Amino acid sequence: MNMKEIIGLRRRPQMIAAGIYIVALVSVFLPFASVGGTTVTGLSAALSLGGLHLAGLILVALTAVMGIFLLVKPSVKGARLWAAFGALETAAVTIELFATKMLIDPSGLLPGSFLVKNFGIGYWLLLITAFVGLYYAMAATKLSAGYIVLALMTVVWLFPILWIVLTSFRGESGYYVGYFIPKTFTLDNYLNLFKEDGPLPFARWWLNTFFVASISCVLNTLIVLITSFILSRQRFQGRTLLMKAMMVIGMFPGFMSMIAVYNILKGMGISQSLGALILVNVASSAMGYYICKGFMDTVPKAMDEAARIDGATNFTIFYKIMIPMAKPIVIYQLMSAFMGPWGDYIFPSLLLGDKQASYTVAIGLKWLTDQQRIETYYTQFAAGAVLVSVPIVILFSMLQRYYVEGMSGAVKG
Amino acid sequence: MNKRLSVRRTPITIFVDGDIFTKLSYLVWGLSNMVRGQIVKGAMYLALELAYIYYMITNGLTSLANMATLGTHEQGMAFDESLGIYVVQQGDNSMLMLLYGVVAVVITAMAIVVWMTSVYSGEDARQRKLAGRKVYGILDDVTSLFDTHIVRLFLSLPLLGILVFTVTPLIYMILMAFTNYDADHQPPGHLFTWVGLENFRAIMDASGKLGATFLPILGWTLVWAVAACFSCYFGGMFLAILINSKGIKLKKLWRTVFVLAMAVPSFISLLVISTMLGKNGIINVLLQNWGFTTEALPFLTNATWARGTIIIVNLWAGIPATMLMVSGILMNIPPELYESASIDGANPVQQFVKITFPYMLQVTTPYLITNFIGNINNFGVIYFLTGGGPSTLDYYKGAGKTDLLVTWLYKLTNDSNDYNLAATLGILIFIISAVFSMITYAQARISENEEALQ
Repeated sequence: MNMKEIIGLRRRPQMIAAGIYIVALVSVFLPFASVGGTTVTGLSAALSLGGLHLAGLILVALTAVMGIFLLVKPSVKGARLWAAFGALETAAVTIELFATKMLIDPSGLLPGSFLVKNFGIGYWLLLITAFVGLYYAMAATKLSAGYIVLALMTVVWLFPILWIVLTSFRGESGYYVGYFIPKTFTLDNYLNLFKEDGPLPFARWWLNTFFVASISCVLNTLIVLITSFILSRQRFQGRTLLMKAMMVIGMFPGFMSMIAVYNILKGMGISQSLGALILVNVASSAMGYYICKGFMDTVPKAMDEAARIDGATNFTIFYKIMIPMAKPIVIYQLMSAFMGPWGDYIFPSLLLGDKQASYTVAIGLKWLTDQQRIETYYTQFAAGAVLVSVPIVILFSMLQRYYVEGMSGAVKG
Repeated sequence: MNKRLSVRRTPITIFVDGDIFTKLSYLVWGLSNMVRGQIVKGAMYLALELAYIYYMITNGLTSLANMATLGTHEQGMAFDESLGIYVVQQGDNSMLMLLYGVVAVVITAMAIVVWMTSVYSGEDARQRKLAGRKVYGILDDVTSLFDTHIVRLFLSLPLLGILVFTVTPLIYMILMAFTNYDADHQPPGHLFTWVGLENFRAIMDASGKLGATFLPILGWTLVWAVAACFSCYFGGMFLAILINSKGIKLKKLWRTVFVLAMAVPSFISLLVISTMLGKNGIINVLLQNWGFTTEALPFLTNATWARGTIIIVNLWAGIPATMLMVSGILMNIPPELYESASIDGANPVQQFVKITFPYMLQVTTPYLITNFIGNINNFGVIYFLTGGGPSTLDYYKGAGKTDLLVTWLYKLTNDSNDYNLAATLGILIFIISAVFSMITYAQARISENEEALQ
């Protein structure tokens, strides 16, 4: 065997991978599945089912042969190709885990219905060798095995998102469907939401939410900024006491006083209105000064002092020096102050009660997933969910950097 | 700051040292200001005093008195002598009496603050006059709001908001924990009254139904908070390290995939996932089509399953959030540490245990504890996924097996109208959060840090 060094290729993992792929090839001759006494090997399953299983078999054979070939004639290019086939093999074998039932049941290969627990030693060995083999094949070509984990995690993380996006374009209505990909695609779910005489005043809900969220966001940010500026820059009697008091008050669960707030708003005669919602969102925003103040604390005091010598008032220092310096935190604050009311459900639902015209999207969408409505409105709910998420996702991806900076400010405290 | 002004003055020393006008201004607010030439300012103090007195005479005093009894006349039929028949008598409304009482207390507290300000302000004017310096007019005062007195300009509105919409409701609800305002004592039909610590006793009493509900829910709340906090923390750290590791290309793309999950508003993702996990939801359908199971799995309907499901679903949004936060910190770890470690032959696991993790833990402990408290109060996950269910007859009224203290609190106010119990529960949650916060702040020692940073 040729063991000379080749740049870009690690020989030890390469040998292990080749060994594992040979084991994989052997496992093709072991029991693949068995139901009611009938057992099929991987080979016979692949030959009679064709398609996915045949592709899997070919890849298994290919990687085993290539493994031996590369041991004899090692090359970086060949090893890369080998790892790519290994990845395909892993994908095929993994999909077999989910698809075998649907393929094997109609084929009549096995008497009776197939379940995952009917897989034999051969299949499980294939699955394990596929992943372990891929790991070593990638290690041989100095590719990080992290990609395998990331790929698997991506599938899990995107699954719900994909599902709701597909559902929003689904032509067949209904909550219960036995398949993942819609049979017909349509835009009706979106159009119905905005139809003038449609059953759902979704456009209204969306505008309500946008109105409440944008006004709350601006006012909230303003209040947080001035509060943080004072707490960061001014030294006055009772300052620490005030900060401690806000911290202690903040530890009471907000739900506790919701009913009382509701009664106060009722006393003011403005319950069931969007104005009341904004008022409540904004009124206590100073309590969230903490992150912003932490950031302002890191802005050097020398800047204030320099401005002061030039005759600047505190007010000028605030808007000419502090605001520009604190730009990341201003954006962070604007973002989180917008996202809060955008997705808030409990207080609006308590406040607005049955006044549907004032609903925000959160209440509206929750209302659609109610037991009696979910069957009729599920696809429209999906369309609504997409429409509600898109602005936030765009906002978030654009301003991600500031969000991270703001959050790490929170950690530095 | 002027040296002389920093000599500590109290309302008592001002009273003793002051002249007759100063002394009188304790009764007639702003008099001292007016005498020294601050007419407008003094008049404003006086106006506020008159407004307060007017409020107290017309409303405040009765409200305070009513708060002591919370009402004596129950709504019911009373004999009207002049008509000679029984008529419906409007009873007292304990709930409003308590609320108005709290408002009267808050207004009185504010009045005391204004009173004390007027005393100090009058004394200031007197001192200035004595020293022969300029006494500020109203225009000077307004200008000073943008400079020396910017604290007043900037803080008054935010603090007023907190006072009206946070502090007042909070006092009201705290007081409610000491009443019997439950489903059987609903105003205006019925009165409720003070009961002392009875609610706390009932909730803590393990032999009663309430205690039999409280203790398991408290247990599950703590288990949940610990599990959610640490699973997301380690998961997020793992993901961040993975994406940041040398061999991974297209870092930004990978990060975006997970950020996508975080950017979707949580009520949407939770509602969607909850519909996916239902008996006829897509997950159960697919699991059956794929042959993993022959019947629907009780993801959200069996207590143990539901608890596990909640913790796992929480990872979906929690891991990306931690990942984002941790990424920044990871880059702050000096790379020399890793270089020298790998020269010494440390493998990735050892590097994590000896370098990354200790550094992380030190920097993120405050975050971890805030996160823990946040999870104790994590309403959304439970509400949108299971709504607290599956419900059980072992628990008090509609409380369910996955209810956290905070969702139970919500049910008590919204579904069963046991406001007294909800308030009691709120106080208990506060105590739990306070204990954990105290640990954080003992650790972080913010007050020392903030000066050091500037």
